[in-house]
Parts: sequence; structure tokens; C-alpha cells
Amino acid sequence: MRNLVTVLLVAALAGCVAAVKVESGQKALGERMVVTLDGAWNQINAPGLGPAQVWTMEGMPVDQLLIYTGLKTDEAIHAERSDGNTKSFKFRSGMQPDEIVALFEGMLTRDGSSFKLVKLAPATFGGGKGFRFEYGLTRKVDNVQLSGIGYGMESRGELFAIVYMAPRLTFFSRHETRVERIARSALVKG
Amino acid sequence: MRRRGFLRAGCACGALLIPGLGRAQALSDWQPPTRFARPDISTDEGGLWAMMDREETKLRRSPFTIRDSDLRGYVHDIACRLGGEHCSDIRVHLVRTPLFNASMSPNGMMQVWTGLMLRVDNEAQLAAVLGHEIGHYLARHSLERLRDAKSRSAFAQFMGLFGLIGAVGQLATLAGAFAYSRDHEREADSIGLALMRNAGYDPAEAAKVWDNLLLEIKAKPGGDPASSPMFATHPPPEERKETLMRLAEASPGGVTNERTWQEKTAPLRHEWLGDEIKRGQHEESLALLKRMIERTPSQAEYLYARAEVYRLRAKENDLDAAIADYDAAVALGTEPPQAHRGLGMIYRLRNQSAAAKASFERYLQLAPEAPDFAIIKSYMEEDRT
Amino acid sequence: MRLSTMRSRVTRFPSTAAAGLVLLVLLGTAGPALAQSKNLAPGFTNLAKATKVVVMPIDIELFSISGGGILEPKADWTEAASKHLKVALLEKQRSFGLTTAELSDEDADDVAEVNALHAAVARSISMHHFGIASLQLPTKEGLLDWSLGEAVHPLKQKTGADYALFSWVRDSYASSERVATMIVMAAFGVGLVGGTQVGYASLVDLNTGQVLWFNRLLRGSGDLREADKAGETLEALLSGFPVGK
Repeated sequence: MRNLVTVLLVAALAGCVAAVKVESGQKALGERMVVTLDGAWNQINAPGLGPAQVWTMEGMPVDQLLIYTGLKTDEAIHAERSDGNTKSFKFRSGMQPDEIVALFEGMLTRDGSSFKLVKLAPATFGGGKGFRFEYGLTRKVDNVQLSGIGYGMESRGELFAIVYMAPRLTFFSRHETRVERIARSALVKG
Repeated sequence: MRRRGFLRAGCACGALLIPGLGRAQALSDWQPPTRFARPDISTDEGGLWAMMDREETKLRRSPFTIRDSDLRGYVHDIACRLGGEHCSDIRVHLVRTPLFNASMSPNGMMQVWTGLMLRVDNEAQLAAVLGHEIGHYLARHSLERLRDAKSRSAFAQFMGLFGLIGAVGQLATLAGAFAYSRDHEREADSIGLALMRNAGYDPAEAAKVWDNLLLEIKAKPGGDPASSPMFATHPPPEERKETLMRLAEASPGGVTNERTWQEKTAPLRHEWLGDEIKRGQHEESLALLKRMIERTPSQAEYLYARAEVYRLRAKENDLDAAIADYDAAVALGTEPPQAHRGLGMIYRLRNQSAAAKASFERYLQLAPEAPDFAIIKSYMEEDRT
Repeated sequence: MRLSTMRSRVTRFPSTAAAGLVLLVLLGTAGPALAQSKNLAPGFTNLAKATKVVVMPIDIELFSISGGGILEPKADWTEAASKHLKVALLEKQRSFGLTTAELSDEDADDVAEVNALHAAVARSISMHHFGIASLQLPTKEGLLDWSLGEAVHPLKQKTGADYALFSWVRDSYASSERVATMIVMAAFGVGLVGGTQVGYASLVDLNTGQVLWFNRLLRGSGDLREADKAGETLEALLSGFPVGK
């Protein structure tokens, strides 16, 4: 969260950041994915925000929905950092579900946050064979304890995934069902 | 407050510099000061105290602080034995961070990180580190440092960066700015040993903590200790080990309480090992685990952990080394269920379906509540077709 | 005017992590008090008198800006400001005719997670409701519409209060070297940050968790280091606090 917010700040100063409404109904994401929304969301646009689309209902410091719409082999699941010290978490075609979840775990814990996998199971996603996971995250920067869910699948060598996290008090349960519906509505064109 | 005190450069000269003590005097002759009174808030010391109280409150409320009262009480008892009369002024906080560190602030707040607790072999070794920190406290070293404004601001920013694993560079700079002087470090070492001895611990264990850490640093590729987050603030002193050994020789004897230590930390060991593995510093982890396995070959958790590191590193012969370690853990009969999962993963990677299936099946039998039960089951079933 | 209280308009930003936090709330325009409706949740106008409000421990940090623009935490200033504001806050609430309650240290420990949650929500409100216009969340429709829901119940249970008042302040002051640097750079037409005061006050309904009233402070003046002047900051922080006459 902290990094996304920092990027946002820098972009804001440059005058190129905006929260844009995503209307209900069908929404094409990337070249191959389509989801159906039962209500509006807010999409945050800013340069350097990373390969995933970033949506939110309550604001960036509270909840985030990350949507990956066709990440290719050797692409990092996060925006690349310039310093040589930080490890990159790159997707590779053929990665197993547990390895992909490990990528997300790595990305989310770079700042010292603590991740705990709660569940990982096969699931249909995007119309194909994929996986679903649940996790807990204790955010280092402000000690907020988050709950999260994610779905992922690989199609023609590309990663499609959605990952949602929100504080475990009140907010996660408030939006969880809508996120599950988005996930279930997702279709990836072959 | 971050304190790299225990790891600071040691004495370059041959003489032992225990303040007020002659070279040949036994450590048990050293007398600690009486308890400190809380300073007036209007003094600069009072202001620092207030700042530390605030940081302590944050620490107490942080989800990263271990609430396990059993372990906390146990470590507190050790600190108390060392601190003597000062026991009631010491408050121990155990923090879940996979790095070697312990520190003590002038207001009596003591922090011990899980990375340290993973690495010490027994109570005496922990006592060596805690004794050193209490030494700084008793000799009021931090107050001397914090009177310097630059140091104070570095310290405060440092506290703000507390535990941030990703901020190693900043850590190093700020901690360096705050660091203790060589004299302080020497003094704290001496006092620490005296406290150890007075509490009945074997002072010879102090030098071993050092030795063990050096092993880990040297394992790091590129070999530059300064760049390891473990020693973010200063290079390890080879001479210091010598000094500590000499000091200890003057007063031989004492306990290590290794059995008690191993028992008390057993419930959290799997988690701490997991945290260590997730650091992703394979070479350092391998050096650490090699030492631990050599010391306690019957501890299946260590073998399992090393297997995991090999499996994740996956260089040339690593997968074979991993299988060997997993098998060794299993042979002991006390392996964590995840050892079978690890084996299954490797067999699956190598398209050895039958072996993979058997291992996964065993994992699922031993860990029916595992978070990844369903996915592992699907791996098993996949290989059948 | 004391050198250390000089301020200037924000045009260049210090680069430390602490500054990042300041920056977060700096997004948006510094200016006069915002329109009433922006500070109030829809449907809420004011608190009745004799209502019980728990005044949460104020989250405050004071910094000095070094010559090079680095923010350095100042423990003694923070300690002083903490005390001044705490007293002033309680007095102010009582002057509104409200019954005040405070949390014991122990209780505060127990509700740490709720406090951390509120801080995150407050950051979101600062950023998306009081920040730059383009970052407003379309689904909120321009309204102050955030609720912590049932998460706040422990606060009500522990204090018997129906409302909670949270406050947060970050304040920086130019050191004399900084001021000297500012003067020099001004000659070259470069405006440097002298010092900024950012903060918020937030009133939360402990029955519903709704944030009823939120005020954001952002300015280049104010001095929290002395009791008399700290009162002025408090006035600004609680400006427009919704209590019935």
C-alpha cells in the first residue's frame, strides 16, 4: 500500500493522477478479459502504478483491488524499482498456483509486512482452470490488519488475476461479496 | 531503539578495560549502580524518556509484538536475573522480525527480535546479548550519545524506521549516526559478562554468539558484511571475540540451560524458521542452518528448513540436496508435515508422478487442516491422469 | 518574529519518509475553511449538548527542518505540544457543553486495532475527499461518506460514550539554519518550505461507526510548542465542530 500511495503522490504533484468511475455492467479489461460489475467502482489512474489496474471503494489507504489482465513471462507483478537491491517478483508461464501466490506474498511483504496464507484451492476463473486463495496481511507501515482474497489463472502464457484486500474489521466483509461476483463473472477470451 | 551494540568493533588493545577494575580481578567483583530515578520532564533527558515512552506504547500496541506470555515471561526472567536490583525497571518486548537484534532504551524498554532468539543456542547466549544491552543501560551510554542533537535526530528517525526490512540503506546510515563509541561498546561487553557471571551463566558462551554470527556473514555472496541487513550498522569485530574469551577465562564455570531454552522456544521455532526462509537470503540461511543441524542433528525442523532453502534456491544440485534433507527429516520421525509437501513439489517438477503422489498423500494425511490442502490435492489428482 | 516560527508557501518538498506522510495530506489547496457540507456526513447537522464524547489520545509529532530540508523529529517539542493540546482539547469539548471521557492506557492498548483502522480511514478522507479534485472517489459522490461500522463498538463499551473525537497533527518548524538557507535561496527565486502544519479532527458515531464530521488542517502558520499559541491551533483544528448552540 505504502508504495502505491507514494507513487500516487509523486504523480499527483505532476498533475496526472485521477480517480475514474467504473460503471456497472460489462467492462473489458485489457485485450482479453471481460468482467460484469453489479455496481460502480473507482479506478485509480496514475503513471507508475504498476502493471495491474488498481480499483478501490473506500480509498487507497483502506482497500485495493488489483486486476491483472494478461501479464507475460518475465514481467514483474509490480512496478519495477530502480535500485538494484529490491527483489523483483516476476511471472513465468507454467508457474504453479502455489508459486504465483508466493509472488504476491513476496510483493506484499517487501516493506516488512507480514503475510499469512489462509486457504489455497483450485477454482475456475476467467472460464479456465485456475485457483483461489485467501490471506491475511499485517501492514508494516501502519499496523493495519487486512484480509484478502485472490483469483488467478494462466491462459496462452499470460497471467490473469484479481487480488483484493481490505481491513479485516468491517471493510473486508463489506465488499467481499462484490469482489467474489466480479471474479465469478470474469471471462478470458481464448 | 535499535542497538547494534553487541556487534560493535571491540578492543584493539590487549588490556581489559572494565572501569575501575584491575586486569586480574574476577568479574563478580563489579558493582552495578542503584536504580535510576525518572528524570524531570523539563530536562533533555526527560524529553528523551518521554519520546521513548511513546515509542514503547506504539510497540506494545503493534501486531508485530509477540503476546505469548509464557515466552515473554521466560525472557523477562532472564533479563531480571541479569539486571538484579534493576529488574523492576526492565520491560521486555519480543518482536517478530527475522533479524538478529536486541536493544535497550534508557527508559528500561528492552526489545528482543525473533531473529536473535532463533540464533542463540541456549539461555547463556541470550544472556550474553541481553547483559550487554543492560550494560549500556546501567552505564547510561545512550544518554551520553543522545545529548548530541544530530545523534538524537538520527535516533528518532531510526526508531521510526524500526523493523523496516526494506529500508536497509537508511537503517545503516541512521544507526551509524547514532552508534555507540568503541569505549562504550567495550564497557558494555565487560559489564555484560559480569552480569552473566553474577547470574550464574557461563561467560564463555558470549564469544560463541559472535563466532556464530561471523559464520553467517562470511557466507554471504560478495562477502561484504556491511551490506547485510543483519549487521546493518557496522562491521563485525574479530578481535572482540578474543577479548570476550579472555574475559571469560578469568571466571570459568556457570550454566547454559540449553535444554530449557530449546523447550521454551520449541512452539515458535517452525514459525521463526519460516520467517528466516522467507528472507530469501539463501546463503546466509544455509550457513545458519548448517551450524544448527551440526549442533542438533536430531532436530527435524532444521533439516526441513534447510531443504526448503535448497528447493527455493534451486541451483545446480540444490534439488538433490533438498531431497536428502527432507528424507533425513522424515527418517527422524518428527518431521513437520510440510517436508512431504516439499518432496512432492520436487518430484512433480521432475515428472516423477508416482513419487509425487505418494508424498502429497502423506502431507495431506498429516496436515488435514493445511491452508493449501485443496491445491495439493489437485496436484495429486492431476498427476493421476 | 522568532526565526524559528517563520513559514513560507510550500513549493519544494523534503525527501524523507516522514515527509511522505506530510505530502500525503498536502495534496489539495491550502485555504480558508471549506463549505459546511464537505465537513459533515449527509444527514448530520450537530451534536446535542450533554452528549458524551470520548476524546481519543491525540496523535502528534513535531519536526524541525534542517538546513538541508530534512525533517527531524523533536521529542521535547512533541512532548510539550502533546500536553498542551490534550488539556486544550478536553477544555474545548467541555466548553461546548459536552461530557468528555478519556481512555485509560490499558483500554487504549485494547482498542489499538480500531485506532489504526480509523487512522487509515482518515488518511483516505484526507486524500480523496479533501485532496486534489481529480482524486475524489466518484462512488462517494462528493459526500463525506465513510463508516467504520461495528468496529467502533469496543470504544462505546469501554467508555459509555456515543461519539469519539480523533485528532492527528504533524507540524514542522524551520530551524535557524533552515531559515538562513531559505533567505539565500529566495534571492535565487527558489521558494523553500519553511514549515507546515497538517492535521485532522474527526468525529465518529460510536453506534454506527459513521464519520460524522471531519476537518482537515493545512497551513503554514501556528506554533504548538507553547501553551498559549497551541490553543490557536486547536481552534483551527476544531473550527466548525458541530455542536448545537
